[in-house]
Amino acid sequence: MSLPDADCRHGQWLRAIAERRDRAAFAALFLDFAPRLKAWLVRAGARPDLAEDMAQETMLAVWHKAALYDPARATAAAWIFTILRNRHIDQVRGTRARTEADFPPPPVSPAACPAPTQDAVLIAAERAARLHAALRTLPPDQRAALHLAYFEACSHTEMGKALGVPLGTVKSRLRLAMAKLRLALAEDEDEAAP
Amino acid sequence: MIRHHPSEALLLRHAAGRLPPAHATVLDAHLARCGQCRVALGAAEAVGGALLQTLAPAALAPDALANTLARLDAPLDPLPAPGMADRVPDLIGAWPARPWRRIAPGIATLALSPRDATDTRLDMLRVAPGAGLLGHGHAGLETLVVLRGAFEDGVASYAEGDFAEADATLAHRPVALPGGPCICLFATTGHLKPHSLLGRLLRPLLGM
Repeated sequence: MSLPDADCRHGQWLRAIAERRDRAAFAALFLDFAPRLKAWLVRAGARPDLAEDMAQETMLAVWHKAALYDPARATAAAWIFTILRNRHIDQVRGTRARTEADFPPPPVSPAACPAPTQDAVLIAAERAARLHAALRTLPPDQRAALHLAYFEACSHTEMGKALGVPLGTVKSRLRLAMAKLRLALAEDEDEAAP
Repeated sequence: MIRHHPSEALLLRHAAGRLPPAHATVLDAHLARCGQCRVALGAAEAVGGALLQTLAPAALAPDALANTLARLDAPLDPLPAPGMADRVPDLIGAWPARPWRRIAPGIATLALSPRDATDTRLDMLRVAPGAGLLGHGHAGLETLVVLRGAFEDGVASYAEGDFAEADATLAHRPVALPGGPCICLFATTGHLKPHSLLGRLLRPLLGM
């Protein structure tokens, strides 16, 4: 399956969970994400057994918070990524890291919660598709710098050492990479502008 | 108007949850005041999601899905209260009872969290107009956000909401500008490296 199709399905599954507490949609989302959540945690330095637990906890949080997902603000993968990240930070700090934003939502009645429209899910999936395409066309040195910043458990000053270049070079590669990726993300906003 | 923002590298590491908590707190204080950087953080989170999808999946326990499905209807565990250093929005008002510690004429600090496992600590700094910090370099990352007042460091001036970061490549000597006292929230990894003899003498007092 291609990623854009996946992005569209992820958004629809989240909607099905929010609207109907759809367990089949949750199981499908789980199978796509939980193994990658665990992979991310292991690369971030978590013990495999803890990474396994936290991947499951993160998916439980996705189940409980699905009604808060807003496709106009984020792709499904980005939203799940932030839940994972916040849980990981909490675990590392031994406290709650992010407060209001991360508390379980009060029960929402279906009528009170305007469901994300099919359009919004599609637009988010298209945005994600542009982002994937832009990521694929990044020069290898910029992609390596991104992977380092997101996935490798090293300190700020170690980032340069890890790539064998000065920290300033890593920083400028990240700037160049993010400029391109932001352009890809913002394309639909430009089209919408008069 | 905010003129100084965190680097892309710092925002990305924040989006990835990779910063020591003290630096993350300083960055959050800037983000609370800077819409432009909140948008940039949103983009960085989108990239995080996209990169997550490209990771090779790790093998899960055979019963992982069944386990999780069985827990869907259970109530969530109650959450512990947020830690002290996590409450950024009104940091100044939040600890009226905590004493500022005078470390030099016109200069006081308030320790918010002690040196952690990443050798990073979080402090607030209050500098009277015209008073200056010791000229110093950095062994590790230093981040700072101005909560009130303004200072200049010989290169640029920083006002409320402005963010400054320095690493081992920068040496500077911040001086508070006229007006009210300058109050900053700052995080330091490793020890500051004072250049002057006076700096070396005062370093034990600063405890940095």
